[in-house]
Amino acid sequence: MNPAASHRSLRVRLLVGTLFWIAASILVAGWGLGNLFRQHVELQFHAELKTHLDQLTAQLVVDPQGRLTLSAPLSDPRLNKPFAGLYWQIDRVAAVGKPAAAAVMRSRSLWDQVLVAPEDTPLDGEVHQHRVTGPDGAMLGLVERTVRIDEMPLRLIVAADERLMIEPVERFNGVLWLALGALGLGLAIAALVQVIIGLAPLRKLRDALGRVRNGESRQLEGDFPAEIMPLVEEFNAVLAQNTEIVQRARTHAGNLAHALKTPLSVLANAANGKDEALARLVVTQVDSARKQVDYHLARAQAAAAVRLPGARTPLKPVVDGLVRTMQRIHAEQNLELLVHPLAAALVFRGEEQDLQEMLGNLLDNACKWAVHRIEINARIEQDNLEICVDDDGKGIPADQRDAMIRRGVRADQQMPGTGLGLSIVDDLARLYGGLLTLANSPLGGLRVTLTLPAAR
Amino acid sequence: MRILVVEDEPMLLAQLVEGLSEAGYVVDTANNGADAHFIGETEPFDAAVLDIGLPQMDGITVLKKWRATGRMMPVLILTARDGWHEKVAGIDAGADDYLTKPFHMEELLARLRALIRRTSGHASAELVCGPLTLDTRSSRVAVDGRALTLTSHEYRVLSYLMHHQGEVVSRGSLTEHIYAQDFDRDSNTVEVFIGRLRKKLPPGLIETVRGLGYRLAKPQ
Repeated sequence: MNPAASHRSLRVRLLVGTLFWIAASILVAGWGLGNLFRQHVELQFHAELKTHLDQLTAQLVVDPQGRLTLSAPLSDPRLNKPFAGLYWQIDRVAAVGKPAAAAVMRSRSLWDQVLVAPEDTPLDGEVHQHRVTGPDGAMLGLVERTVRIDEMPLRLIVAADERLMIEPVERFNGVLWLALGALGLGLAIAALVQVIIGLAPLRKLRDALGRVRNGESRQLEGDFPAEIMPLVEEFNAVLAQNTEIVQRARTHAGNLAHALKTPLSVLANAANGKDEALARLVVTQVDSARKQVDYHLARAQAAAAVRLPGARTPLKPVVDGLVRTMQRIHAEQNLELLVHPLAAALVFRGEEQDLQEMLGNLLDNACKWAVHRIEINARIEQDNLEICVDDDGKGIPADQRDAMIRRGVRADQQMPGTGLGLSIVDDLARLYGGLLTLANSPLGGLRVTLTLPAAR
Repeated sequence: MRILVVEDEPMLLAQLVEGLSEAGYVVDTANNGADAHFIGETEPFDAAVLDIGLPQMDGITVLKKWRATGRMMPVLILTARDGWHEKVAGIDAGADDYLTKPFHMEELLARLRALIRRTSGHASAELVCGPLTLDTRSSRVAVDGRALTLTSHEYRVLSYLMHHQGEVVSRGSLTEHIYAQDFDRDSNTVEVFIGRLRKKLPPGLIETVRGLGYRLAKPQ
């Protein structure tokens, strides 16, 4: 599918829109939930540090010898395990008469390392947070407060490896994105299914239209959803109206022919047999007028019919009717008309009257020229209906065949007929996108091949 | 030979009647479908010329009704619509031939002669019975090549007998086929025409079948 086509595709449009919103909402949800959880863990982390700091503050006492000591060890076992990730330390802040000293006391977990806290002197009661580099190079979260014991300002520090905080966040994020990914995939599949199911009636509509075009049906058939049904009904109404217009045009054309030709008959008969200049003029002009009327009526009717979709005409009944007619009107000639078996699948994509007109003219010509025998055969060739009419007459020389198909030329002016027969057939066939070809027949005379669109 | 002509256009009807009468036919007419149906079903005709576009009942329907009630005379249909659709419909309704308007009277006469001849089983336009010949195209009668002069009534009687050679033809059916419907018929006049014909023809050609009618046959 090229980019322009995908842009115009309803399915691609719906899918792109839906998928965009699914991706956007999953990203926002993932980012929001991740942040929320991280904040929560951070708060908990610092709250825990503060708990340890409070415990440290509470246990810190000065013994009778004036040394700092803890009245009881802090409870968390990690504080006694070297480099376990949780530390405490007490620094002495410089004061009158005493220099500053780092790590006057520290947890066993610090072993021989010293935590270097940034320069800061929180006021009494304040707890400050910092980030520092720990003994094994890891980042530590640190809380501190300043307390005075016997006028000695001390800096109490509790720190913990940030990995203790990051690990659960990462675990949570892993599970979160996995779950959101599964959700997104599920939503995308659901959207795809919905688009396919939702647009299925459109494909059905297209198939129904295809059947109308192929001549398999005259109306759009099938059940359609309420949103599409009005469209289908309108379309069917247009189709029906088209058919009606063509029928009316046909009737009008027929009435016009009748109205014109009866006076022409009267004129011709009145002038006939009289050897006056006027009478001869009337006879020739009446003949010419009749040919013109026939020719243009045939064309007008066909032009209307070709635009009518959904027309299909099985070949066999038309051929059978015409053969009955030929046998009756050419009874004098004792012709043998052989129709090879015609399958029911041989169907012309067009109006019955036009097929009758084309085949009628071809068979009538063949009957006029044949000596004893005419053969009719038909087959489907590459979506086309190919009809052959062979006769055992004298045929037409190859160099005159083109002229025969041209309008109004007659091979033998003595033979009755308008001479327009083949050219009308050719015109009609062309209007249907078909073809008329003349060739030598194996029977010795002319083979006329009529190629027309076949209906499936 | 008695012909029914059905045509709703008065001018054309008059021309048809004139042309057919000149050719020696007895002509009855109808100018609408209902009349055509009635007269065609009640009177015997040797052929009918039937226009398709008729008021009240179209020609195809009239023809179908005739055929449905067993009227088998040859029918030539006249149609203004030069489409094979109409021709096939006409032939399938029981027509024997068609002619598209406008037509030449000669062509109509030729088609009609051929139809009547075919119906009575004759292959040629010239009917022969022993030394007697009758040319349906020129309406000439000859005995051993010598032309005979006949009145129009004598010709009609002889022509009907020639078309039905070897068959017994009743006086009644002769009357019906040589007079139009509205003519004052008298079957005795048939005997007069037969008498005159016998005088003009070689003896033994027209045979009287007692109580039944007449038969034209080759002398034994």
